[in-house]
Amino acid sequence: MTTRTAPSSTRQFGKAFSRYPWLYSLIMLVVLLVINRSLQDNLFELFAVNGNLRVWLPAMLLAAGQTMVVIAGGIDMSVGGILSMCNAILATQIPSDATAERFITVIAISLLAGLAAGALNGFGVTYLRLQPIVTTYATSFIFSGIALQILPEPGGRLPRDVTTFFRNPIGDAVPVPALVIVGILIFWYVLTRTRFRQYLFGSGSKAEAAYATGVPVSRVRFTTYLLSGLFAALAAVALTMGNGTGNPRAGDLMTLPSVVAVVLGGTALSGGRGSVIGSLIGVAILGSISNVLSFAQIDRWVRPLTDALIIVVALAVPGVFALVRRMRR
Amino acid sequence: MKIAPIELTVQRAVKRYGGVVALSNGNLDVRSGEVLALLGANGSGKSTLAKIITGVVAPNEGDLRVDGQAVRFSSPHAARKAGISAVYQELSLVPDLTVAENIWLTHEPLRAGTLDRREMQRRTADLLALFSGAMRDSLSPETSIHTLPPDEKQIVEILKALSFGPRLMILDEATASLDSRQVDRLFNLVGQWKRDGMAIVFVSHRMEEIFRLADKATVLRNGESVGTRAIAETTERELVGLMIEGMHEFERRPPSAALASAPVRLKVEHVTGHGLHEVSLELCDGELLGIGGLQGQGQSELLLALFGALRVSGHVTISGEEARFKHPKDAMQKGVALVPGDRASEGLLMIRSILENLQLPSWREYGVPIRMKKAERDGAQVAEELRMVMASLDAPVNSLSGGNAQKVVLGKWLLRSPHLLLLNDPTKGVDVGAKSEFYELLNQLRDRGTAILFYSSDDDELLGLCDRVLVMHDGAVRAELAGDGLNRTALVAASMGAAG
Repeated sequence: MTTRTAPSSTRQFGKAFSRYPWLYSLIMLVVLLVINRSLQDNLFELFAVNGNLRVWLPAMLLAAGQTMVVIAGGIDMSVGGILSMCNAILATQIPSDATAERFITVIAISLLAGLAAGALNGFGVTYLRLQPIVTTYATSFIFSGIALQILPEPGGRLPRDVTTFFRNPIGDAVPVPALVIVGILIFWYVLTRTRFRQYLFGSGSKAEAAYATGVPVSRVRFTTYLLSGLFAALAAVALTMGNGTGNPRAGDLMTLPSVVAVVLGGTALSGGRGSVIGSLIGVAILGSISNVLSFAQIDRWVRPLTDALIIVVALAVPGVFALVRRMRR
Repeated sequence: MKIAPIELTVQRAVKRYGGVVALSNGNLDVRSGEVLALLGANGSGKSTLAKIITGVVAPNEGDLRVDGQAVRFSSPHAARKAGISAVYQELSLVPDLTVAENIWLTHEPLRAGTLDRREMQRRTADLLALFSGAMRDSLSPETSIHTLPPDEKQIVEILKALSFGPRLMILDEATASLDSRQVDRLFNLVGQWKRDGMAIVFVSHRMEEIFRLADKATVLRNGESVGTRAIAETTERELVGLMIEGMHEFERRPPSAALASAPVRLKVEHVTGHGLHEVSLELCDGELLGIGGLQGQGQSELLLALFGALRVSGHVTISGEEARFKHPKDAMQKGVALVPGDRASEGLLMIRSILENLQLPSWREYGVPIRMKKAERDGAQVAEELRMVMASLDAPVNSLSGGNAQKVVLGKWLLRSPHLLLLNDPTKGVDVGAKSEFYELLNQLRDRGTAILFYSSDDDELLGLCDRVLVMHDGAVRAELAGDGLNRTALVAASMGAAG
């Protein structure tokens, strides 16, 4: 260590935070869980954990896909629409007496539908050079329109075996959603160990510099929209298996929270910085806030306001820190 | 380390941007174990020629040969595949990635398809060791680029170019942000690479560096290669002569007699910071003081500092009052106006109307609610004074030609009748006709007693218009030229930092 460096412990601390931007959100989540636990005694029991994870899983899948788009410098406002569309496909095409073969075929079809939706977004953004926010907002109406065409009203019933399997912990010990979450983490871990990771962050951080170095920026961005579409379709699978039924408006209110979760998880909306891990934590934070407020028995009509206030505060904290630092200088 | 031999020739390369010819006849020839310097005055085409070799710019005509084979580079990537890599002046680094990640971007060491981070760190540490002692020890392969100062970014940029294992390396103003110790180290390395058999093309503004490093120099003038000299057999005087040969001198109008007794409007003493070193100058009412020198030597920074957009140390007095502007609006209140160099990004709201643009700094004068009729009348008057060619005041600025758009930038400040006008390379990309109108306007303003500080990258303008020219080099005033001393030879020699 040279004489110029700060005391090594604070330095290590700062280094860890800059390397893992989601540490801050992890602290926030722990605080919320402690509060939640004080209001809800059984929070960490298997039944409650299983229930919470099942409710959060679709949002986590959406946020995971959203994260990759945002890191590469874009945004996907159509994830909710894609989720609705795939939810409608699954609910109408899987009858309650479906064979395993039929079940798998329909899941494959809905995943392909998600990929196709992502390809449309990617084409608009990277090849037609349209604004990501406008493109994906516009296409979201296509996807939710298709959802309403396929399934005008909530309905459909999945085979009982499927929902029973999905809702109950395996061997009374391991919740199925936990396995999926581990799957997302493994996916992210592997991805961050490939060259694609460098391309992803490079494209979002400074596209011209990355391009000048030979990074295929357009292709990278296109791929992120494909992945986001695929993850939205997976979210639809998780939602449908959890609910056992379909709702053409299922995704209507899920797009914005996916962006909020990404931001809460420490991913920069300007691109180039972030992590899927943070976004999963972000979803858990949003879910915990919702739990705390419902256990605190806050009136239902106050909930949207309290939800929003807490989210705004959570989003503002890093900005306030930065402001204080600037003013001290 | 032995490097495979290379021989690169460019013949009769032509590059046009729209109607403007940036390069009309570019030629060069460089081979393994040789350092070729490219030099020329502003706008001589040397950067364009360098960009053609690196694949950044595709030539309209001409012949590019590597080892005798005709090639065409469609991108920097293609040039790199042929063993040519460039150190860019505008850095090509990604701010959120680390030093190691940037150096190895697109050619990361892999193991079983995944990043071999340990190998990447090791190789990066080896590269950083080349500059050890010339920069902070704490610079590790894991440092994020956005935390680095400009000199270390430049070093990373050099190491990145080196990491591709090039046979030919282009250093385009690579020393601009390095300190003398780092420059020494770079030159030692270049010497080593040369012995290993690398070919090097060195684009520099600094005559002294060219004589230290290069084996031969190719001189460009007005987009044409006008000669190549072996450094051992030439002199600064000869090279400067090649750069300006045959260009005519200007008839200047004699300085007005009133100038001698005019009050001092602007006095600058020992201004330092943002790359400026101890800049001092004085400017009287009715005087047109030029600032010359090669691009990026601190001229823009000086103007921005005087306008309150950059904080610097030192003393600035305007009309006898100490001026410490914290924000451009403070400067505006004191009757200072700045016409920026980059119209599109700094000077104009491109999609808004001409009137809105003209009145943007002045709306305050028209009350609440705005007296629109008067604003329109004043706008129309300025437009007429400037002889603006336009459909109407309501047309958007982006419907105007470059020259007319520049008039809008000037017009919006003229509406405020400034006492001190700062011009930051105002005629860049403006056609000849609009330029001469612009010069006429400057002379009118001068006759009215406006003090004008005029930075231009066009030497002709400085020679033709100014009473006095300060030549800047590396953020300092290198020479003050006036009267008979203000001629092309002196201006170019001082720009290049030549001794005399």
